Amino acid sequence: MPRSRSELLDVFRATATEVAEKDFGSVGESTAIAELGIDSLGMLEIIGSLERELRIQIPDECLAGIVTVKDLLNAVESRQSMAS
Amino acid sequence: MMHDPRDPKLVPPTLVEAVRALRDRTDRGYVFVRQDGSERFCSFRDLGIEAERRAADLYARGLKKGDRLAIAVPDPDEFVLSFVGAVMGGIVPVPISPQLSFKNIEGYHDTVAHIVNASGASLLLTTPATRQYVEPIVPRAPQLRGLVTVDELAKDTPAGSKVDVTIEPTDLAFLQFTSGSTSRPKGVMVTHRNLAWNSESFMIHGLAKDSSFDKGVTWLPLFHDMGLIGFLIGTLFTDIPVVFMPTASFVRNPRLWLDKIHQHRGTITYAPNFAYGLVTKRLKDKDVAELDLSCLRRAGCGAEPIQAKTLREFAAKLAPAKFDPKAFLPSYGMAEATLAITFVPYDTGVRSDVIMKKDLESGSAVPAPSADAEGSQELVNCGSPFPEHEIAIVDENGNRLGDRQVGQIITRGPSITAGYFGEPELTAEAWKPGPDGKIWLYTGDLGYTVDGELFICGRLKDMIIIRGRNFYPNDLEWVISELPGVRRGNVVAFGVDVDGEEQLVIAAEAFQSDAEALKKTIAEAINSNFSLSTHEVVIVPQGTLPRTSSGKPQRRKTRQMYLDGTLARARVVQGQEGKAEDAGLSA
Repeated sequence: MPRSRSELLDVFRATATEVAEKDFGSVGESTAIAELGIDSLGMLEIIGSLERELRIQIPDECLAGIVTVKDLLNAVESRQSMAS
Repeated sequence: MMHDPRDPKLVPPTLVEAVRALRDRTDRGYVFVRQDGSERFCSFRDLGIEAERRAADLYARGLKKGDRLAIAVPDPDEFVLSFVGAVMGGIVPVPISPQLSFKNIEGYHDTVAHIVNASGASLLLTTPATRQYVEPIVPRAPQLRGLVTVDELAKDTPAGSKVDVTIEPTDLAFLQFTSGSTSRPKGVMVTHRNLAWNSESFMIHGLAKDSSFDKGVTWLPLFHDMGLIGFLIGTLFTDIPVVFMPTASFVRNPRLWLDKIHQHRGTITYAPNFAYGLVTKRLKDKDVAELDLSCLRRAGCGAEPIQAKTLREFAAKLAPAKFDPKAFLPSYGMAEATLAITFVPYDTGVRSDVIMKKDLESGSAVPAPSADAEGSQELVNCGSPFPEHEIAIVDENGNRLGDRQVGQIITRGPSITAGYFGEPELTAEAWKPGPDGKIWLYTGDLGYTVDGELFICGRLKDMIIIRGRNFYPNDLEWVISELPGVRRGNVVAFGVDVDGEEQLVIAAEAFQSDAEALKKTIAEAINSNFSLSTHEVVIVPQGTLPRTSSGKPQRRKTRQMYLDGTLARARVVQGQEGKAEDAGLSA
């Protein structure tokens, strides 16, 4: 069952908070990944968690173009629609 | 064939002969785990056939023995087949880290262009998916004949093709561009003889491999010496099967590393300290209950400072999964020495030395009165050199130092490479006469020995000396990394000259909103752990600190950015006040 955009943002916030042990409750779509204070290793861990939670896979080559939270959610959304 | 006394006795003299010696291994070889979890088995026989075919294809494209082939290929199977393919034809592969990060691509292009040009590569090999990230550098590399993707490489040349070329032990096997923490990457020239000696050293003398049952499991990047030589080259020389997983799959899901060891009954694995820490943190008790790691008899640790605490915590967490702490194998090495320099004897696990920090600062490693004594520090024993290899500790004037005297680690032996490609001055700085007049590799690392076993204290050149006390940045950074709000690897400590005196500056990546409180916490932690005052703490946005290809912060470059004002500007861009001269944290 694909999740709505706002549900996806909530899942991202919750996952990031759990993995990075920081509060990301106020993070919005326009936030740059670089502003989150998470290194690329941490970000990849968060993406791994998201993939398991949502039962999707984002290919590595799609990751290099991700700069903002919005880019990430776009990638998640397109994978969801492929899976459904 | 007569044995040349300059070659090792227990393995073939070249990687090419090692691959050909495995030509009848149809049921042994490599398993490649893909991102989607599927697995591809490639027998050593098929690997050899495909590699010979790729060599023939590269010759058909005009490459010949001695030419360099830059390889930016993230998929382990395609990387391995292409790397070995080049080697079979005497073409010199130059592995390049594939782009995978969440920041600007310009820095990546600069690194790729530098490596392609410094190596004089004639061809750049990539994949259809990665092509877009490396293609923009082609116009910046005038000697490059073109770019080719792995699917094209495999297309037109029939199976069974091979090139007729003689490879000598003294021939260059590949160029390992180092991710040295201190300067731009340099290409270490690794010969077949270096590879043969080092493979014999760590696989046979170090790990005591047994081809009847040993199996490696690794997620280490293959563009880096530990993954490439440790798991690809070392195992081809000694006929050991390996399970390769993509590095990104491990980071996405750290337990996958242990799952694969469990599933494939892996006996040998290897990782930097941080990976053991990450798994300990992420693994849930119910995950542990599903694992049986009794098969794992060698768990190597290297490539970054080893913390006994991290390894003890891993062992405690995995005890219910029957992990044997004696499997831990702390070691020391570097690309300039091919890979491994020292190993502890197998089955001895983590042994450490608790010394007084105060005395270390003045150059001696004095045992602490007790393990938890005030001002003490625990250092992990990294073992001793392999047969035919030596280490020594020397002072600034190159004089040999005795046990428990801290100085620069130097090493010599048949694994030591010939130097940096096209960089005679930089080579002469590190390959120099030692106390006996022979040429030694000066590692730039500081350490001491006890009964011939080595302990590492840090890097020579990054050492911070304040009021006659030597501080190793690793130690300061480790303490700060333990603070809440700071992530491992996001901290750099360095010294700057303030009115003729060296002073400490800490640069850390963190949230701007937390900056003021964090500055105070960091300065306090430095003070309470080292009785050292901090001249300035600089908090910068994530992604600001310059890093090596393996993700380690580059201290000297960070220091340069601090001095020329780039670090301060990183804060301004972020839109926070954070005054550069706000140095009021000196405790």
